[in-house]
Amino acid sequence: MSEAKGGAVELVELRKRFGDVAAVDGVSLRIPAGEFFSLLGPSGCGKTTTLRLIAGLERPDGGRISLDGVDMAATPPHRRKVNTVFQNYALFPHLSVFDNVAFGLRRRRTSRNEINRRVGGVLEAVRLEGLEKRRPSQLSGGQQQRVALARALVLEPSVLLLDEPLGALDAKLRKALQLELKTIHEQFGITFVYVTHDQEEALTMSDRIAVMSDGRVEQVATPEEIYEEPATVFVADFLGISNLMTATAEGAHDGRCLLRLGESELHAARGEISARGEVRIVIRPERIRVEPYAPGGENRIPGMVERVVYLGSLEQLVIRLATGDVLQAIVVNDGEPKAFSQGVPVRVHLPAEALRVLPERPAGEVT
Amino acid sequence: MARRGLFWPLFALPGAVWLVLFFLIPFYAVLSVAFGTVDPIFQGPVPVWNPFDWHFTTMRSVLEQLRPGQVFWTVFVRTFAYVGIALAGCLAIGYPVAYYLARHARRTKALLLVLLIIPFWVSYLMRMLAWIGLLLPDGLVNRSLVDIGLLSHPHGWLDGQPSSVIFALVYGYVPYLILPLFATLDRIEPHLIEAGLDLGASRFSTFLHVTLPLSKQGILAGSVLIALPMFGDYYTNDVISGSPGTSMIGNQINLFFQGGPQRTTGAALVIVLAVLLGALMSYYLYSTVRASRQPVTA
Amino acid sequence: MKRLRDWWSNPWGRPRALVAVTWLYIAWSIVPIAIAILFSFNAGKSRTVWQGFSTRWYWGDPTQSVLHDPALRSALEQSLKLAALDMAVSVPLGVALALGLTRWHGPGARPVNVLMLFPLVTPEIVMAVSLLLVFVTLYGIQLGTTAQLLGQVTFSVSYVVVIVRGRLLSIGKEYEEAATDLGASRVAALRLVLLPLLAPAIFASLMVVFALSIDDFVVTDYLSSDASTQTVPIQIYSSVRGTTTPALNALATVIVVATLLAVAFAYVVHRRFTAGDEAARGSALREIAAFDV
Ligand SMILES: Nc1ncnc2c1ncn2[C@@H]1O[C@H](COP(=O)(O)OP(=O)(O)O)[C@@H](O)[C@H]1O
Ligand SMILES: [Mg+2]
Repeated sequence: MSEAKGGAVELVELRKRFGDVAAVDGVSLRIPAGEFFSLLGPSGCGKTTTLRLIAGLERPDGGRISLDGVDMAATPPHRRKVNTVFQNYALFPHLSVFDNVAFGLRRRRTSRNEINRRVGGVLEAVRLEGLEKRRPSQLSGGQQQRVALARALVLEPSVLLLDEPLGALDAKLRKALQLELKTIHEQFGITFVYVTHDQEEALTMSDRIAVMSDGRVEQVATPEEIYEEPATVFVADFLGISNLMTATAEGAHDGRCLLRLGESELHAARGEISARGEVRIVIRPERIRVEPYAPGGENRIPGMVERVVYLGSLEQLVIRLATGDVLQAIVVNDGEPKAFSQGVPVRVHLPAEALRVLPERPAGEVT
Repeated sequence: MARRGLFWPLFALPGAVWLVLFFLIPFYAVLSVAFGTVDPIFQGPVPVWNPFDWHFTTMRSVLEQLRPGQVFWTVFVRTFAYVGIALAGCLAIGYPVAYYLARHARRTKALLLVLLIIPFWVSYLMRMLAWIGLLLPDGLVNRSLVDIGLLSHPHGWLDGQPSSVIFALVYGYVPYLILPLFATLDRIEPHLIEAGLDLGASRFSTFLHVTLPLSKQGILAGSVLIALPMFGDYYTNDVISGSPGTSMIGNQINLFFQGGPQRTTGAALVIVLAVLLGALMSYYLYSTVRASRQPVTA
Repeated sequence: MKRLRDWWSNPWGRPRALVAVTWLYIAWSIVPIAIAILFSFNAGKSRTVWQGFSTRWYWGDPTQSVLHDPALRSALEQSLKLAALDMAVSVPLGVALALGLTRWHGPGARPVNVLMLFPLVTPEIVMAVSLLLVFVTLYGIQLGTTAQLLGQVTFSVSYVVVIVRGRLLSIGKEYEEAATDLGASRVAALRLVLLPLLAPAIFASLMVVFALSIDDFVVTDYLSSDASTQTVPIQIYSSVRGTTTPALNALATVIVVATLLAVAFAYVVHRRFTAGDEAARGSALREIAAFDV
């Protein structure tokens, strides 16, 4: 058996419509072999459809899918070296765990010994030894999830597609299985295309992430890049709390963008620093510095604490700026007596190197 | 690609062909006979297949007899009256039973369901046979009524009594109404009822303003489901009454088909019946199609 | 008086009026049948006066029992024969049609879908008359067993479609897709995944068709040729008003018991099939009572 590991997937201008809904609207992606690649986006943005197109369960209306450089247009789903872990697992209720996992091998007329060996091996890898005879309905959610994983992995696909595989599980189990999936990815060395609407999950697990919205890809980048340098308003908004404000840009000065926010003047060192006119600027809550009130100062705006939310090791401050904008700031709860309580005037420092000017892309605009 | 497109249609093909051969074309045969001629020597019906050559004499005379005061008029009016009363009777019995089963029965629910399903699986004519045994002049009903003094002498229940025919229709068809009603009522979320009570409606007004409107679809579908076969029923009437005085449309049609030369008239009468029920049917089809479009929960 | 009214309409208690109606209805619907069955064991010739217990009308009587009266015996045989044939033809035909209609979305699917509903709502006499006329005038099919079978299949098939389609819709496409994803061809996915999952519905259909066939009177009567193709319902219809013996009750009882056993058997098998599949299990009774379209 010369199973080539990981396969490279390439999507070119992929399109799929259902009636008047453009579920996938011109998606182009290049996923190198062996990568843990995530499709991240809100429900209904076309993630599942993209995955089903790769699996061959839907036929594209336009565009091209290739696997290791070979066009897949004429290959029916059962001939693709791609397997899927379905959103709700789709375990065959009438078959035992063993028979579920052996299903694909039997279709390939694998010998009985080989089936026993491989099913045993993969069940061990997903830690399900001893449950071979159970029916899916006799398993817990986490166990069912592993059977679905084993059933796909046993065929040694070059690409494994996972559609919100942890979506149905509770938070604690999800955390544990995230680690396990990561381990399995490393162990098997194949390409994972992982669909999720949970940004934290995508950030912790992926090598690279494609953020999708309305059937289109907004940004493809590493988790760090996505988090630190969201390319569009949509990405910034979707990836956890970020503070979005509307300001007027007056072009670049010394590699920084000069911005007007109400009465105040700000400098931003990141993003589209040469932009002019009305722009959106963004800053992460943990990058905001909150200082005791004092007038003036560069990139500093006066404000007042509206609310303090205790988050354990952190504290979240909701601050209303003099400009009228409301910001959220995260400060470390280091045991000092609380400096900021409700109603206290403060000075907010928005460091230039943390302040990002977003390109005004109408298509990506989401309010 | 052609194979991909033909795979599922091929499954539907035999069944579709069957329905065309043994449902659609036969119905056309009725038209051809109704608008055909009668063999002058053997008196048998001669179908005319080409609609441009159809004769309308038989149909015209049937329609003439449908005018008030004529023979078929009486039969049609009687049929509508019997079916209407029987349907009301079925609803009066069936709805409370289905309602109790769906809304209130708890421990006994499974048992009740089984007991309600039993008559459903007992052959219709067996159930008629059972009542005939009871209603015979020396049957249990007459003997009991005479014994307790309600009757002085045995009543001829089976001698052409309209009330017996209607009674038998109710007895015969009510099981077919209860199950669809139960299915509808069972699907109503208990929360909705509780919300009704919580919002200050009494039990009865909750029923009137929440349960009843929500089960309207089931009442209509169930009523159509039993009214249609009742309109074509002749055997209930034959075994319970046997008298021309209670004859319904079905009996009239059956009569024409049992005895030789009149099949053309019988076929014309079938067409009239079919057209009448067509309206009722289209409503039923419309409601099932609409119901089947609703999302299915796994 | 007031206490009685409170007891009757206590808002937290059981709705006693409904309980009463329900149990009265059940008694009304079942007791007559029980009495008719009881009289099939009557030792005397009367269908109304109890004369002691015997099995005479089943097999004891050398000329008039179900076993020995040629007319009764042949009616029973014809009923069972038609039921078996009807099941053998309608169920495969209906399952295929249900599969085709749920998975095929072409332009022809809609008319067939509507056509399929028609036999469910057409009064039997209309179907019987039309089949009789088409067989006699156009197809040249001799009346008798073949004609009866063709007629019975025509109304049975739609019930099979309705039952199987219900289950198909609740299964959805996900299992088939999973099978294809794992390398099964379409035919293999159908054989290995879809048909096993449909087994409960197929079983329910078999039972429903059995009951429909056994119970049918109008179509079967119109398409029968002579005494040799009379079935049990025809026998009951033609002799119930005359002077007849409890052998008729015995004949009907045999059919009732056969049907109820078949249904009970189907129910047990259904539960085994769907062991662990709670969704399918919950609908067991309803699928067996499948006339709910
Ligand atoms: N089989 C289908 N028929 C019609 N519309 C569909 C179908 N599948 C998906 N859609 C629509 O396409 C869009 C994208 O769906 P999907 O790919 O499932 O999104 P996601 O997985 O990101 O939640 C949605 O608007 C959805 O309603
Ligand atoms: Mg999805």
